[in-house]
Amino acid sequence: MEFDPGLFVELFARTLSFWWVIIPAIFLGLVVGAIPGFSAANTIIILLPLTLAMDPEIGLIFMVALYASSRMGAGIPAILVNIPGTAGAAATPLDGYPMTKAGRGHQALAISFVSSTAGGLLTTILALLAMPWLSQVAYYLHSVEMIVVMLFGISLIASVAARDTLKGLIAGFFGLMIGAIGADVVYATPRGTFGFLELYDKVPLIPALVGLFAISEAFLVIEQRSIITKEGQALMAKAGWAETWEGVRIACSKWWHITWTSIIGLVIGVVPGAGASIASFVAYQQSRTYSKTPELYGTGHVEGLVAPESANNGVTSGTLIPLLVIGIPGGATAAIMLVVLQYHGVAIGPDLFLSNPNLAYGPFTAMAVTYALMILTIMPLARYMSKVTVVSTVYMTPVIISFTLVGAFVSREYVFDMYLALVFGVIGYIARKTGYHVAAILIGVILGPMLENYFLRALRMSQGDIMVLFSSTLGNILWVLLAFSIGLPYYLQYRRKRRRQATA
Amino acid sequence: MAQESTPLESKRKRIGGDLVIPLAAVAFTIYYFSTIIDSPWTAQVSAFFVGTILIVLIGILGVRSVIALKKGEADLGMETLLASRAYLSRRLGLLALTVGFIFVVDWAGFTLTTFVFLATAMLLLSEGRNRRFILFLSAMLALAGYLLFILAFETRFPAGPFENLMKQVL
Repeated sequence: MEFDPGLFVELFARTLSFWWVIIPAIFLGLVVGAIPGFSAANTIIILLPLTLAMDPEIGLIFMVALYASSRMGAGIPAILVNIPGTAGAAATPLDGYPMTKAGRGHQALAISFVSSTAGGLLTTILALLAMPWLSQVAYYLHSVEMIVVMLFGISLIASVAARDTLKGLIAGFFGLMIGAIGADVVYATPRGTFGFLELYDKVPLIPALVGLFAISEAFLVIEQRSIITKEGQALMAKAGWAETWEGVRIACSKWWHITWTSIIGLVIGVVPGAGASIASFVAYQQSRTYSKTPELYGTGHVEGLVAPESANNGVTSGTLIPLLVIGIPGGATAAIMLVVLQYHGVAIGPDLFLSNPNLAYGPFTAMAVTYALMILTIMPLARYMSKVTVVSTVYMTPVIISFTLVGAFVSREYVFDMYLALVFGVIGYIARKTGYHVAAILIGVILGPMLENYFLRALRMSQGDIMVLFSSTLGNILWVLLAFSIGLPYYLQYRRKRRRQATA
Repeated sequence: MAQESTPLESKRKRIGGDLVIPLAAVAFTIYYFSTIIDSPWTAQVSAFFVGTILIVLIGILGVRSVIALKKGEADLGMETLLASRAYLSRRLGLLALTVGFIFVVDWAGFTLTTFVFLATAMLLLSEGRNRRFILFLSAMLALAGYLLFILAFETRFPAGPFENLMKQVL
């Protein structure tokens, strides 16, 4: 698996010659990523007969392009209408949507596109360079270490609730309780299901996402003519190419932020089963922790948009590493790619890099080419996409409700899930109206079940000894870092207060 | 004759709405505990841990609210939650239409239900203005939804008369 720059250039040029496959996949990926419920994995399954009929190399390029572009697509409705297309984009509206409300939607899109592309490209190159070492990450991150990684994400609850910590914590723990609905993983005992069989397999994420963000937003915005403020409308009317390029410039100036948050995504992506939602929450939380202006997060702060977008695109290349090196898919889409490769008789593993380097390195070069082509095709559209925000809420609200309910339905094809989305919509509406952050509830719903799984696994392996949580060196280092990252903002806040008092 | 609120009353925080989520959370937690009381420890450990913290946090909020009520800084008004009557009736109408959409879609199918929902919801929100445009827009959107979700993505959405007819035609 030695990296050969000559081979990479040759592969890049070869992959570029498949632009006729990549560009349609990009547009398809952007559409399915933008509609809640239509994930890249579902779409690849639908198109399986097509990809199976293709040459394995072309099929793989098509799937990778669709996968990478769906990540970027999920951020578009999150920024423009506060509806994340996937759980991986759930942290994007925290700062993206306030930018839109202020009439800077096109700029927010430009920042998101640059962050996603740069994050995706950078992590693809890093993945190519450090594949042998990165593939080992999964071996070192066991249940105990993953518990701490989850807690990094969950500690974001306290950050998003900066205005009223108590209400934020109540919302987060309420979310964790909702996330605990369903059969327990060991004995399959039904818990808190209200007798609904549909809830035995935990609360499905898409209806929760649709309800908490989309439905509640739809019920709120009917009080206004448009989702953007009056000042924002004036700004939107004047907005031209200059503002879009200003967004590109702002994003480029955050290159260091993009770099380290996308590396968080890459490392988390390597761990099978982790995924973009954890990565984006952890990246957002870390970004806020080390920011000089943490109080600006949640108000339309550029770094708060850059962090989750570069992290969730960093995950994309991370999930492919364990698939190609050790044959373990890092996520649902990677698992489907494995099926396609196995159908063609391709043996996954280290030997593939010697026997068929085109196929082994191909997904990474395909990803690099996808990101390069994607930024060129999508950036000019940012200005026009943002026009959706000036549509009257009279027309926008019913469309949001009906089309996102469809999204809630398609992931499992249960009518029950549409009712569930409505229930979450009512919870989300009440929460927003009374100052409980819906993102805190969602973090609990998403990360709660994962945390419980790792926690129970660790406890069972240690035969119920809670001290197992402090039994590994890497785990202990992560605990210290967690304590540091939770304590640091309070320390910095205290220091700033002291300084202000001293200067007054 | 409408009574005007005194300056002291208008300064008071209306915290009645703030208590809805905590009360729902407590009710749900108690219900959840009741479903795991006889379960093995693996089913209980996380929920008891999280639920106990949640109840403690809500207890703190309760104490904070009682103190504010006693000091006269707050009352149990629900104004934060219930907006003006005009929006409330529109919101409740929209909620009823949404429930109707989910209920009817099972037998009327996606396309027809979406058309009726979009048209009635838009008419409700626009207070009956632009009827022709709304009917045209709703029809176009429902048709676009049919083409995208059912024909292109082959979503197995409940089929109704329109989908069955199209299946025979295509």
